[in-house]
Amino acid sequence: MSTPIYIQTTMELTLPSELGYEVVARDAVAAFACRLCIAPDRLEDLKTALCEVCINAIEHGNSLRPGLRVQIRCRVEVEQLIVEVVDQGVSAFAPKSEPLTIAEKLAGLGSLRGMGLMLISQLCDEAGFVPSADPGNCFRFAFYRQPMVGFRH
Amino acid sequence: MLEDELTVSTRERDDVAIIDLFGDVTTFAEEKINSAYREVTNKGARFVLLNFRQNDYINSAGIAILIGIVTEVNRNNQKLAVSGLSQHFQKIFRMVGLAQYAEIYQDEDEALVGFKR
Repeated sequence: MSTPIYIQTTMELTLPSELGYEVVARDAVAAFACRLCIAPDRLEDLKTALCEVCINAIEHGNSLRPGLRVQIRCRVEVEQLIVEVVDQGVSAFAPKSEPLTIAEKLAGLGSLRGMGLMLISQLCDEAGFVPSADPGNCFRFAFYRQPMVGFRH
Repeated sequence: MLEDELTVSTRERDDVAIIDLFGDVTTFAEEKINSAYREVTNKGARFVLLNFRQNDYINSAGIAILIGIVTEVNRNNQKLAVSGLSQHFQKIFRMVGLAQYAEIYQDEDEALVGFKR
């Protein structure tokens, strides 16, 4: 009979709202996820998705305003890892239209930026903005977990 | 801001201009990458290889810089390829469509052979 594995099922981080700190969040959340049977290739997806969500929070939700914070909440459920990234809501961030394709960008039809949300939606099992009691934008994404023998909350 | 270190250098091998990118490709990389591209273009490069090395982090801002390079490559009638990307970032490049405009090779040697085909 295998020994049950007891692990923490929640983690919260608060980061300075400055570009570059998304890497600090990435490494912390990746270390947390490593303990939760996220497959290695999905771990890379998680790291990229988290960075993109944090960048959106810093650049859009907090409008690159210094002194603000970005909050990250991770929660493990039986079948998935859920991550919420909350900014302080300097501006409401929700995409107004479909992102431009690379061909449209090369044709000069819009900014070369704006690939983040598309990447996030493709990398995560679930992703999107959700209503929140917090004043800022809350973006939630999820990764399904592999089964883990002996796991106990 | 936490500026990640990126080292960019250029060299030539078999008539291919190689731009080595060591480190993270983010918004902070723009001037270094564009400067290296201008340098090889001013020297008359027809074939340009972006050789990624130890790139733990490439984000959407970095990808936007690379799309800008594709724009210039098309304008200057050059041919662009990339090498050295991890499997994950090869997947990312395909997702955003960069693979349509720059052939992806596992490493530098494979890319140099590919340019000659």
